[in-house]
Amino acid sequence: MRHLFPAFVIALVGCSGAVGEAGTPGGAGRTGGISGQAPRPGGSGPQVTAPGLKPGNVVPTSLVRRLSQAELDNTIEDILGDVSRPAQKFFVEDEFKPYDNNYPVQAASKSYTDNLREMARDVARRAVADTKNRGAFIPCQPTDPGDAACFRKTIEKLGRRMLRRPLASAEVDAYMPLQLFATENNPTVPHDFYTAVELALRAFLQDPEFFNRVEIGRQTATAGVYALGSFEIATRMSYLLWGSTPDDALLTVADQDGLVSAAGRGTAFDRMQGGARARSQVQRFHSLWLGYRAIPQPADIAALFNAETTKLLDTVIFDAPSAYFDVFTSPRTYLTTALAAIYGLPAPPGGAGWVTYGPTSSRAGILSHGTVLASFSKFSDTSPTQRGILVQTRLMCNIILSPPATVNVDQPPGNPDQDCKIPRYQAHMGQSGCTGCHSQMDPIGFGLENYDMSGRVRKTDNGKLQCAIPGQGNIAGIGAFSGPKELAEKLLGANEIQDCLVRQYLTFALGRTLAAQEDTLVDALRKSMAAGGNRLVAMLRALVTDPSFGLRTLPEVP
Amino acid sequence: MSTKPFRLNRRTVLRGIGGVTVGLPLLDAMLDNKGEALAQGGAIAKRYGIVFAGQALGGDSWAEDMSQVGGIRKTEAGHFIVPAKVGAGYALTTPLKPLAALQDDFNIVSGMNIPFNTTSADGAMVPPGGAFRDFHGGGASPLLSGVRSTTSNFTAGGPTSDQIVAALPANKGNSLVVRAQPSWYLAGSSYSGRQYISYTAANKPIESQTNPQTVFNSLFGNFKPAAGAATQLADFDRRAELAVLNLVRDRRMALLNKVGKADRLRLEGYFDQINDLQGRVSAMATNQTATCTKPMDPGGAFTTGGNNAGSGGTALETNTGYSDEAKRSEVLVDLIAMAFVCDLTRVATLQITVFQSHMNAYPISQALGTPIRADLHEVGHNGDPTTRGQFPVSLMLSWHIGFYARLVAKLKGAVEGAGTVLDNSAIVFMPEAGHGVQLNDATSPNATHSVQNMCLLVAGRAGGMKPGRHIATKGVHPGTALLAAMKAVGVASDTFGDVKGALPDLTA
Repeated sequence: MRHLFPAFVIALVGCSGAVGEAGTPGGAGRTGGISGQAPRPGGSGPQVTAPGLKPGNVVPTSLVRRLSQAELDNTIEDILGDVSRPAQKFFVEDEFKPYDNNYPVQAASKSYTDNLREMARDVARRAVADTKNRGAFIPCQPTDPGDAACFRKTIEKLGRRMLRRPLASAEVDAYMPLQLFATENNPTVPHDFYTAVELALRAFLQDPEFFNRVEIGRQTATAGVYALGSFEIATRMSYLLWGSTPDDALLTVADQDGLVSAAGRGTAFDRMQGGARARSQVQRFHSLWLGYRAIPQPADIAALFNAETTKLLDTVIFDAPSAYFDVFTSPRTYLTTALAAIYGLPAPPGGAGWVTYGPTSSRAGILSHGTVLASFSKFSDTSPTQRGILVQTRLMCNIILSPPATVNVDQPPGNPDQDCKIPRYQAHMGQSGCTGCHSQMDPIGFGLENYDMSGRVRKTDNGKLQCAIPGQGNIAGIGAFSGPKELAEKLLGANEIQDCLVRQYLTFALGRTLAAQEDTLVDALRKSMAAGGNRLVAMLRALVTDPSFGLRTLPEVP
Repeated sequence: MSTKPFRLNRRTVLRGIGGVTVGLPLLDAMLDNKGEALAQGGAIAKRYGIVFAGQALGGDSWAEDMSQVGGIRKTEAGHFIVPAKVGAGYALTTPLKPLAALQDDFNIVSGMNIPFNTTSADGAMVPPGGAFRDFHGGGASPLLSGVRSTTSNFTAGGPTSDQIVAALPANKGNSLVVRAQPSWYLAGSSYSGRQYISYTAANKPIESQTNPQTVFNSLFGNFKPAAGAATQLADFDRRAELAVLNLVRDRRMALLNKVGKADRLRLEGYFDQINDLQGRVSAMATNQTATCTKPMDPGGAFTTGGNNAGSGGTALETNTGYSDEAKRSEVLVDLIAMAFVCDLTRVATLQITVFQSHMNAYPISQALGTPIRADLHEVGHNGDPTTRGQFPVSLMLSWHIGFYARLVAKLKGAVEGAGTVLDNSAIVFMPEAGHGVQLNDATSPNATHSVQNMCLLVAGRAGGMKPGRHIATKGVHPGTALLAAMKAVGVASDTFGDVKGALPDLTA
């Protein structure tokens, strides 16, 4: 549901006393005025019609996209069997906006190229030295270092995987001179057939067509609309659904041009569901969406939280498929003894298993998991404002504007050493110039204050037994709630999460902010999801089989 | 066998290793009788460096002589960075102690202010060279580029001092831009520009290198082996790499010709970088000399620490939010120093910590004897309930300055002509903020979010700089001190962004 809040005019001297609180930078941005729906400046071409499209549908624009570190690591693992996550090791950390695949912030740099060079050398050297696994990309046993036929077959096989399309004969020819390094008369330098393969692999790894997704397409009858070929569609599908490169089977379907039709894509989609890659991709989306890709807890505790959330997502989406929104309303969770101890819940029988919350519990679903409750914290504790920002921006898809520049956002409201937390935030919210914005955020956090950063229930402020936490929250325009269970019910009752989830997933899919005209695609996917029993897989299938999935438009360049 | 005559113009700068200027180490034979200039009359290369710390000089709401350590409040002078005495022979303050053996080799310039409009927070009303009234972002552009900021975005409104120096004809636009803190450490957000201190032009940041081994290989990968099999292996590797890069480079037109303009612009950047790399690999191998030697390979064992576990609690003690920035900084300083000695680059920036750094301060402060349970940003904002105020802030500043001292000492130890490399250098230490009136509300005193009471350290004797003193200014723009350092290494301009006039005191 899209809300249009009134635009609040903030007095520049408002929130005096340096008591405003901003979010952690970037991402959710900073607290302050709440406007209506987030503007969606991402480039999208004009509304167009094309074969298979319904009137009013849009074809999103696409541009060259660099693989994120996670995508690069998955790709290298799937092609070469290398599980060392080399991109994460070599490259400068990706920007998260909040997704790691946001192509408008990607740019070529010397730093990137130098790290790519190092990674290519490292990966290629280990790949050809791995006599157990190298058969995955070297399809023949060379008869001698200069076995040209075997080298050619290797280039063809490896190139098809690395560039995600078959190589033309002339393209293969270009790699053949590398075999001179396998055969040169040089007794002081060890070299053999695999030396040339290693060099070819280094060339592929540093090829801009490998580490970028390049879509070209073919001009359709509609000006400005290009139809993607099956290989380009295979790449779109695999990076959307797996966060990785197409496997041999998908490329084989593409070989037969089997992905240009919606039906063909549907068949391929069904095969691609349920496996490890599909699961990890859905989990990755959630961790970026809800801000728990890195959890501000020690690694052992973070691992427990992640395991709990992963189990819930796997169960609702894949193993015992039900309506996706059970992720937010599930009355049970999968606990281990260690996690139950952190939450202060009874240990599950047998040390691990599903536990149903008690009838008076205010817990339900992912919003009561340590993953989400630890995210968006500030000042060493939970932050009512930050949790409000999380709900407003990530679950309701509203935008929160920056606070007035004159507000210092690095000091908590009031005097934390003396006063209770909720009254401090309430007093701050009541200040002239602060109310308009903070009343949209802080009361949401108030309703979750009974849950600390570890997901444990608390009745009083940390270290202040005299400060009782009432735990009563309110979502402006929607209603009052207390705890994660009622929060989820309120948001779902107002159709907030249903709408926002699709927007978020489409943002993740397109690698950029959505454009206003892409609302029609959001609406269509939302309807398809509802018609498919509100299954997440139904929404993804609708996205892949939508006619626009096989098309692209180009952004205008001045 | 004939011997080619030795020609001084071999020192001509080459496009070389690591994206940096490559020349040949200075040999005595190249110098005039005094050892102060090249025999042909040219000047000895001047080096310019910046070491950056993403922290302020003091803590929020704490006077400069007030601290609380382990729950005990103390009133104690000598912890704030600015010495009590002006001129030479001052007593070292806590942050400056790592420079004890180098006191005669650097100046501390204190009391500098970036101007801001105290009556209006409107971006259009920011004075020239001034700060938009929102810290942290508002302070970045005027500090780095001398150009006023008009929004809270982290960016620079013009080229930064290092890039102005790099653009001098002698320096061929080359520089080494490295960063020790490899992660933003917070899950719900991203760097959003906090990771840049070098800009070639307005809003054109240079992506820094955070991988120590890549820095090493880029700079020193083509050092000429002594002799024997290693020579042949190096030759084989170089030829093979060139074949690989040529192959990639040759795919340029086939791909670019198929795509539209917007895609072509994006892809061209990558192919241009491949060209640049190919040029660097094909450049002449660097010879080692008595002073220019290949440093130890730092190895690839650097890992990135997990997400920051928040302040105040014991969770910070489990090594979250920390990626051994101490070791990374040490390695990067050593590589910069040798790159300067070998004349592989004449300009370098090291961002030890990013703007508004959320690196975990616990492991560092613990090793220094006073554990602070907070991340670096929160150290200034009283994140640890028991250890707050001037001393912990100064302790973390001293940690940063330790790496600056290491760089200065290494340059001082490298003989060049009749002096040392430090004699031909201007090396700046730049903290992100000062300690004074808060920028946002223009009212609160003793704020860590302040562009008042700022300091810079400038080491070296390039261009006649006279180090060894505390230069107390009366509120000049820090850009004037940067401009003085820039002029010391050959910049002719009398302006830096919006800032006019270099601080004369550095050479006076």
